[in-house]
Amino acid sequence: MKRQKKLVVALVLLTAFQSLILFAGFFAPYDFAAQDREQPFAAPTAVHFVGPQGNVHIRPCVYNLEDSVRCYPLHFFVRGTPYKIAGVFTSHLHLFGVEAPGHIFMMGSDAYGRDQLSRFLFGGQISLLAGLIAAILSVSIGIIVGGIAGYYGGWVDELLMRGGELFLALPWLYLLFAVRAALPLHISQWEVFLLLVSVMGLIGWARPARLIRGVVLSAKQRNFVVAARGFGASDMYLLRRHVLPQTYGVVITQITLLIPLYVLAEVTLTFLGLGVGEPMPSWGSLLSSLQQYYVLSSYWWMFLPALLLIPLFLIFYTAADALQEIHKTVTL
Amino acid sequence: MPQCIRWNRSCWSGLHKKGPMKYFARRFFHATLLLLAVSIFSFTILQLTPGDFFAPMGLNPQISSRTIAGLRSQSGLDRPLPVRYGHWLRDVLKGDLGRSFAYNSAATPLLAVRARNTLLLTGTAMLLAWLIAIPLGMWSAVHRGKWGDRAAGVMTSGLLAVPDLVLFLVLLLLAVRTGWFPTGGMVSAWFSDLNAWNKVKDVAEHLFLPALGLAIATLPTMLRHVRSAMIEVLEAPFIQAARAHGIAERRVLFRYALPVAANPLISLFGFSVGTLLSASLLVEVILSWPGIGPLLVDAIMAKDVYVVIGTVMLSSLFLVAGNLFADVLLFATDPRIRVE
Amino acid sequence: MGKNYSWVKCLVLATIIASTCSSAPALSSQAGEERMIADGAPGHAGGRLVVALRSEPKTLNPAMAVDETSRDVIRCLTADLIHINRGSLKTEPSLAKSWNVSRDGRQYTLELRRGLRFSDGEPFTADDVIFSFQVYLDEKVDSSQRDLLVVGGKPIVVVKVDAYTVRFELAQPYAAAERLFDGVAILPRHLLESSYRNGSFSQVWSLSMAPNQFAGLGPFRLKEYVPGQRVVLERNPYYWKADRAGNQLPYLNEVVFLFVPSEDAQVIRFESGDTDVLSRFSAENFAVLQKQQSVKGYHLDDLGSGLEYNFLFFNLNDLASKGLPEIAKKQVWFQDVRFRQAVSAAIDRDGIVRLVYSGRAAPIWDQVTPGNKLWLNEKIAHPARSLDRARQLLQSAGFSWSSGALVDSHGNPVEFSILTSSSNAQRMRMATIIQDDLSQLGMSVQVVPLEFHAMVDRLQNSYNYEAAVMGLVSGDADPTSEMNVWLSSGETHLWHPNQDKPATPWESEMDGLMQQQLVTLDYAQRKHLYDRVQEIVAEKLPVICLVSPNILVAAANRVGNFRPGILVPYALWNIEQLYVQ
Repeated sequence: MKRQKKLVVALVLLTAFQSLILFAGFFAPYDFAAQDREQPFAAPTAVHFVGPQGNVHIRPCVYNLEDSVRCYPLHFFVRGTPYKIAGVFTSHLHLFGVEAPGHIFMMGSDAYGRDQLSRFLFGGQISLLAGLIAAILSVSIGIIVGGIAGYYGGWVDELLMRGGELFLALPWLYLLFAVRAALPLHISQWEVFLLLVSVMGLIGWARPARLIRGVVLSAKQRNFVVAARGFGASDMYLLRRHVLPQTYGVVITQITLLIPLYVLAEVTLTFLGLGVGEPMPSWGSLLSSLQQYYVLSSYWWMFLPALLLIPLFLIFYTAADALQEIHKTVTL
Repeated sequence: MPQCIRWNRSCWSGLHKKGPMKYFARRFFHATLLLLAVSIFSFTILQLTPGDFFAPMGLNPQISSRTIAGLRSQSGLDRPLPVRYGHWLRDVLKGDLGRSFAYNSAATPLLAVRARNTLLLTGTAMLLAWLIAIPLGMWSAVHRGKWGDRAAGVMTSGLLAVPDLVLFLVLLLLAVRTGWFPTGGMVSAWFSDLNAWNKVKDVAEHLFLPALGLAIATLPTMLRHVRSAMIEVLEAPFIQAARAHGIAERRVLFRYALPVAANPLISLFGFSVGTLLSASLLVEVILSWPGIGPLLVDAIMAKDVYVVIGTVMLSSLFLVAGNLFADVLLFATDPRIRVE
Repeated sequence: MGKNYSWVKCLVLATIIASTCSSAPALSSQAGEERMIADGAPGHAGGRLVVALRSEPKTLNPAMAVDETSRDVIRCLTADLIHINRGSLKTEPSLAKSWNVSRDGRQYTLELRRGLRFSDGEPFTADDVIFSFQVYLDEKVDSSQRDLLVVGGKPIVVVKVDAYTVRFELAQPYAAAERLFDGVAILPRHLLESSYRNGSFSQVWSLSMAPNQFAGLGPFRLKEYVPGQRVVLERNPYYWKADRAGNQLPYLNEVVFLFVPSEDAQVIRFESGDTDVLSRFSAENFAVLQKQQSVKGYHLDDLGSGLEYNFLFFNLNDLASKGLPEIAKKQVWFQDVRFRQAVSAAIDRDGIVRLVYSGRAAPIWDQVTPGNKLWLNEKIAHPARSLDRARQLLQSAGFSWSSGALVDSHGNPVEFSILTSSSNAQRMRMATIIQDDLSQLGMSVQVVPLEFHAMVDRLQNSYNYEAAVMGLVSGDADPTSEMNVWLSSGETHLWHPNQDKPATPWESEMDGLMQQQLVTLDYAQRKHLYDRVQEIVAEKLPVICLVSPNILVAAANRVGNFRPGILVPYALWNIEQLYVQ
């Protein structure tokens, strides 16, 4: 039961995080592309409860960099730049905001003066989506290949597993450069990104395939499967009804494990210039600025997206662990 | 028919049915095919990406296209792809991996030096990681559920969740800020002036941070594997029987449990050997260790084709050899596989 | 008593003294050696300088080296006949102590210094000069230097007048003839003639050669090369320059070039004291280094704007044969000069200077940067950013706005993409800023970062691009170094290269002006012609010039005579005069 509790807690936290990301426009005070050219690399804005005259407010306020005379109050549920929820609904409502020329950079600003918190939330949409798509793609192909290999065995199995080894050995970095360079100019950045993510997912099927194959192999030999076969059940029926359901545990676990892995792969992509283009944010582009020494040593707040990712990955791994333990109890 | 243990790969291929020599010969043959396929793929992909090594010179107003064409034909880049592949294959069988345009020298000695540097790094890191993972994993498994195990578990999960990139950047920042460690490279500028002992010390100083970083990055997974392998074994009936017989706990652990638990660990070790050349790319790039990783990245960027293909082939060779090595080790150490 | 052996002792003593004298590091001037006196402050001998290189040099063969890194190292090992002083950007005597020009400007007679020797002790004569130019001009050797030695379509002819006099004959008068000789290294005939004769010249003098196979007239000679790590140069005991006090140069005993591949790694190693000189780094790293300046014992220099200019340009190629109808449709906009002027008016150059270069750059409106004081046209207007003027220009060109988006006269929305190299962070950021600026005009711009080779392929082969952000670094302050860019037939006439005949009247005018300034010898007249070229560029905007970054260098405080310039190699051009305290 403790495992289940762990899983539930992890799932609740994940859902909370996902809704934060889904409603990024609401929680973010600014648009992800809004540049404030007067405030490049601004430190996170301090929120004050004491005004310039020394009087205490309930409503917090922020100072502008230039003058410490006027303290701009922080308002909640303000009307700001429009944004789309899930690409469909438009809204103007933001959780909090400050009227211009005040500004509130809770996580500081980047080289163009763009709010890092807004970019982190919007970037999550892209990064998590990329991770999800790639993970699902990998595992889907893994199910097909691993299922066939494990079920039929023999030379089919050999061939598919060797093919998997080939895929693992290939220089995937290269393939991505080739794909990117060969694409026409007029494809939108979104499409380029999704294409690259799909290619990533297509390449990474080897490991899930191997694991699923293992499960299928052992499931194939279970008594009830042998019995069903004795009753004259066809291959398709056996696969669909008896064998594949056994793999669900592994599938879910793998997806949960692969999502953070592919998010990290997206970081590498963006670092090499293959990721989503400006001004679209992604966690990869937020982290890649840390590659430069002057950012690393002077602007500590640029580390914050990396630090925020750690608990997120922790939740994913905890969920995957819990799932693994549960799944083990079920099959054994 | 012995029940195939899930992680025991050799079992799946019917090793115990067909006899070891034939099996390994077949695996060797497959490995060669695989390497061939990788080389063909690499060459083809290289052709797909536009431009070659000399193309950017076209943007320099002081170099004429005539010079560039001359350079191109000198290096054989204007010959058709199958011809180039044929020449390359013939040369590889003699041990010559072609020519590096960026370094204007033969690729083989260049790769050999860089591979040596990388192996030094990954070898040290792997040793370090195993030296920590095995005792800690065993201890964790024995004291399973108690606070020590839980503390180790939390630390492991935490480390696992930290992206490698962030870890290496933090180490770099540490080196720069404190000045306790060298900030890059493998040797100091005055290396040639040092005597032999100081030379070793110099390399060790430079090696410390990257090896530590790599070890920390690979430690969590290894720890988990050791721990789960030990736990699985410790729950087996024969261990309980041994305990019931009154055998001391320490003897049970080392004489009975560890050899059995070693099975999946040996597979893991074999795979680690396979990744000796490729695992360190990120740490080499960030901490400026002159290994094969940065060479590959630069060569890809510059389209130094023979260096790229050479590196890819070398990495694939290690991967394939690592797999084979894991199987050989398993065969040699696990009697269950040998029994018909 | 036995024999008196005191005379033996005297002989031995004399021999010892004599051998010590002859191996002393600073050889006194040999009879008849005509040294050049350097103008720097005298320093003291000894010590080692450590410098980082971005990549490994590919070769030490001056005829075959194409890349900057190889040239950097070769410059320390060899000498030329006439040299461009990086401090003043004017020519000065080098191996040639004087020269005169014939009346028609086609013959240059150079007097060589006498009594000089190569780094292996062999004498230097006019034969070496003849041999060197023979090699450079030989088509079979295929040296990249050959193109630079072609004047008026014909290679220059070198004639030996006597053992120390050489005459160069050009096919037509050439304005920058003296500057031709800068960097053209003189090769030792006694070492290289045999390999030249048997056709193996292009393989000779690679980095792995034994040091005794090398001889040069530069301040240093090769000592050691460790692949992947460093190349070490040692003092040339036969060097022909001296300081004002008569001490032979160079001061340094050794120069160590470390291979440190990334700029960030170079900055880190400089900050920790591993290297002594840091040449050309970014403004952000300048700010980082500034903080520790006083503590760590180094100083930084901002030399003002250099010769690099960054620009945005549109695809103006003739696409009829290329099958790119989408881009051809957009070219209707690009080819309208008012469109380009509107784009230029909308770009926030000050924003780029501030955000991309932290203020350490200069906004430019034509291709000559403020650092090039000799050739800058001061009269060109520098209009401030004005979205209103941009909108007016667009309206007069037939564009209009429909719900915020800019559309042309046929109602097509104005959308295009800007290519940049994904490996150049500064240009990517410039493109992002431009994208944001142009969105305020209603244009929808996409930034497409491409791997460098892919970008070059599109710019020069397939012409499959719409706009691009790029930069060029002038090889020399003189306009003749950029002929290929501004001539319509030039290969690097980026927006429309290799034209058979000029596509527009203003390109035709530029062709005429550039050809004319090539053969005009009087500086004032040339400046007048080149001023007009700059006017055309600023008005017709074949390239929309953006900014020119400042040259930033740094050196440890212990490095003396450090006088960096804005022309390559920036910090080490006077390496023979550098000393360490």
